[in-house]
This record gives sequence, C-alpha cells and structure tokens, in this order.
Amino acid sequence: MDTDFAKRRRRDLITAFCLAVVAALVPLFVKDVYVQNIMVLTLMYAALSQSWNILSGYCGQISLGHALYFGLGAYTTAILFTKFGVLPWFGMIGGGLISAAIAMALGYPCFRLRGHYFVIATIVIAEIALLLIQNWDWAGAALGINIPVRGDSWLKFQFTRSKLPYFYFALGLACVAWFVTWWLEDSKWGFWWRAVKDNPDAAESLGVVVFNSKMGAAAVSAFLTAVGGGFYAQFVSYIDPESVMAFQFSLLMALPAVLGGIGTLWGPMLGAVILIPLTELTRSFIGGSGRGVDLIVYGGLIVAISLARPQGLVGLFSPKRKEAVR
Amino acid sequence: MTAPLLETRGVWQRFGGLVANSDVSISVGRGEIVGLIGPNGAGKSTLFNLIAGVLPPTQGSIWFDGEDVTALPAAERCVRGIGRTFQVVKSFETMSVIDNVIVGSLVRNTVMRVARRKAHQVLEFCGLAARANVLASNLIPSEKRRLEVARALATEPKLLLLDEVLTGLTPIEAQTGVELVRRVRATGVTVLMVEHVMEIVMPLVDRAIVLDLGKVLVEGKPADVVRDPKVITAYLGDRHAVGA
Repeated sequence: MDTDFAKRRRRDLITAFCLAVVAALVPLFVKDVYVQNIMVLTLMYAALSQSWNILSGYCGQISLGHALYFGLGAYTTAILFTKFGVLPWFGMIGGGLISAAIAMALGYPCFRLRGHYFVIATIVIAEIALLLIQNWDWAGAALGINIPVRGDSWLKFQFTRSKLPYFYFALGLACVAWFVTWWLEDSKWGFWWRAVKDNPDAAESLGVVVFNSKMGAAAVSAFLTAVGGGFYAQFVSYIDPESVMAFQFSLLMALPAVLGGIGTLWGPMLGAVILIPLTELTRSFIGGSGRGVDLIVYGGLIVAISLARPQGLVGLFSPKRKEAVR
Repeated sequence: MTAPLLETRGVWQRFGGLVANSDVSISVGRGEIVGLIGPNGAGKSTLFNLIAGVLPPTQGSIWFDGEDVTALPAAERCVRGIGRTFQVVKSFETMSVIDNVIVGSLVRNTVMRVARRKAHQVLEFCGLAARANVLASNLIPSEKRRLEVARALATEPKLLLLDEVLTGLTPIEAQTGVELVRRVRATGVTVLMVEHVMEIVMPLVDRAIVLDLGKVLVEGKPADVVRDPKVITAYLGDRHAVGA
C-alpha cells in the first residue's frame, strides 16, 4: 500500500514535469502575440487558482477576497519600483510577505467565523481595501500607477518587445504553486488542513491546532497570490485599483479550482486551461457589447459541472479511485 | 498507592439554568477499564467533553497524569495523552481511511513515512487494514466506529475515552468491539468508556461509575453496581427497586 501511494506521488511529479516541458516548447511554434498573451494569463490564473486552492480547497476556508492579496502584491511591486527603484523581484517577495502578514492579521479575528460568515467577511474586507486604495493619493488613488519603461531586462523584469519572458515567468510561477501544493499534500500541514476542512472538532481531538492550521494555509496562499499580483503589475505595466483588486479577480481565482476540482492537486490547472482561454476568446469575439458574456459562460459551466461531476473535472480522470470507493 | 491517571475534582458544569454535572469527583487508575454509565441525560457525555477539553468546566479541576489540565484546550490534551472517540461519528469524510488515521499518528511522528507506517499498524490492529484506501464516507456504520477508535489509538494515548462505541451495533459487531477494547487495554492503555447498554459493558469493565442527574450515584465492581437498588431505581423507576 505504501508503494502504491509513493508510486502515485511519483507519477504526479513526472506528469507535471513532462507537462511543464511541453508547455515551455509551445511558444517555439506559436508566434501569434495574441495567443501568447492568452497563454500568459492562463498560466498566471493557474498559479493563482492553485494558491487559492491551498486555503479554500485543502483547508476548506472559502475565500472570495483573494483580490486583496493579488492587489497588495501588484501595488507593493509597483510602488517600490516607481517610488524607490526597488527591483520587481524584491517587490514581489516583499508583496508576498506583506500579504502573508496581513492574511494572518485578518485571520486572527476571521477564523473564528465558520462557513458562510467567513466567506462574507472575506468579500467585505477585500471591498474595504479596494475603497481605501481608491482614496489613497500617495498610491495613485483611482488613477493608479503607471510603471515607467526603463528598458528590457530580466533584472528589472520588464519586456516591451516580447511576451516570451513573461510567459516563462508565469510558467515558472505555475510550476512553483503546483510543486508547493504537491509537497504540502503529503506533509503534516496538508493532513491538518484536510482534517480541519472535514471536521474541525474531530481534528482538534486528534491534536490538530485548528486555528494555527488555518493561519498557516492563509499565509502560504496569500504569499503566492501576491507574487502573482506583482507579476501582473509588471506584465500590464499599468495598474489601478479596479484592474487589480476588483471582486471579479477573487472569482477568477476561485472558479478554475471549482471547475477543475476543489481541494485537488490538478483541479486548478485543468480548470484554468479550460476557463481562461474561453474567457479571453468570448471577450474578444463578442467584443465590447458582450461585457459579461464570459461570466455567463462560467456560470453555465459551473452549473453543468455541479450537476454532472460535483467533485470537478478531475473526477473524470480517476476511474480507479471510483473502484476503490466501492 | 500510585496516583490515578485521571482525576476530576469537584467538577461542575452548568448550561444556563441546567446543571449537567454537579460536584463530580471520579478517578481512573492506570491500566483500568472503567465504565461510565447512567440513564439518558445523566451527564455522561458532558463529563466526557470536560475531560477531553471540548469545554472548560464551570467549576472544579481535571487532573491528568499528575498535572492540572483544566485550562488546556483539546488539542493539547491529545498531545498529553488523552485520546477520544465521538458518540456521533466524526470521520474525515473526504479522506481515505488510512489518511484519517495518519492525522492521528502525526501527533507523535513528524516524519510522514513513519506516521504512515504507524497508521497502517493501527488499522491492522483494529481490523480495518483491508479498507485502508476506501473513502471514510463509504464505510458502513460499524466500520466508522472502528475508524474512530483507530484514529484515537494512532495518537498513542495513555487514556482512551470511548463514547458509546458499542451502542447501536449488532450483537456480533458489539462482540468484536468488546474484543478490541480488551486488546487495547492489553497494550497498556487505560480506558474510560461511556455506555448505556449495561449488559455489554458490565462483563468488560473492572469498575463502573454510575451517573444520575449529573451526580455520581454509585461506584464499584460491576456485579455490585447492577444489584444496587439506587441504580435500579435510576434506570427503571421506584416500582422495580422495591422488588430488588
């Protein structure tokens, strides 16, 4: 039994490695900038959704306020770079640390809430943060921050001529998020989180410190989300509160995981690969008049999934598990 | 005489106007199997939750292994060596049986490989080895009860609190359960079990404590306890007590 388990873990790792290699080769054949742009966004949302999945999927604390951490990462990176000349690499790490600290500070009161009450708190807090940033003149208020072009270089993490460096960074980020999840899945924290999700009272009786488990999940999740936010700021080189902290970002992080399979290793990846291109394509084909059509498509997909495969699309790929269940 | 493993000293628990436990002082010695019995509403489960640390007592103190643990939360008491099961089973439904048990074994083992091996041993001990990779939600009720015991045992407790693990089972399942409890004790674990089906617990326990209306009514050898008129009155009412 032990070996079966070890085999599955190794198989996951090898699969991930092969997929990453294949993904890295794609830009050699796909030169279209528009398509490359979609690929960057897909990988970014795969990473973000994977991060969201740590807190909400594994630990079961559904957050619909992750836009807060995304925005914090974007703003920290942008402000440090434009105002203090700090390289975006440090900005992303700094944004991650700030987000992790804020996630724990917010978790301290909020993790006493259970179920719907917690979800509502996350939405409200993210909205408050959005309002604060919109009115904070030093941080650009509603106008946002324009990141000045200082020439293409990896050091400054700025590329005006090609999307490729962004693509590879996003790919790296998705790999890191996946690998962190893979690693945590078979660790004390991973087990604690799943136990907390399923039954906090029973978890507590088995020596699991429920509160600390939630705090740990929140910190890891917020850190990775903020790194994604910092990346996004560099990628679009202009941010304003609405474009990085709006509620829609919270949804865009949650939906791929929900579609692909919440609390699973592959769910967020699979969900992002399906959902993000779909969003971008409906948006561009239906054009300006079709605002919100992408969201209608999402809604339809989620309804279809919850009716046909409540455990997410990942469930389609594991017939073996079904046998074991019988 | 050595100090008891578990002791409650003058424990009270009030829920608003309701007194669930009043001045309960019991003790459990090392290596004993003690039955906590009593009619419905006697305060057994409340006392259990106080010992496990789910809620603090209104008054009084709880001593475990020579230390005052009254202020410690449940997780910390588990670390000290109190393992428990729940009357209404609380499996981790989306996790496999083995993963359920690993959560318990992680208390003593930080290395995953060791924790997993330990969990397999416990499953073997509890007769659930064949079901290791099944989702907990797919177990039948008697297996879920055994999973509760396995999970608690994986934390390597000194004291195991069993909350009605034998209730609602078929006679054969209950007999398997009784055997399991005996084997648990044989490994050196002290057992405190709540039951209200007397005929199952009486042959099993070394000592029985009868609670009624939140107070300790009688305490002693099972054979004496079942003949005690006060106990018969508590269970069956005055009319039957006269006949005894």
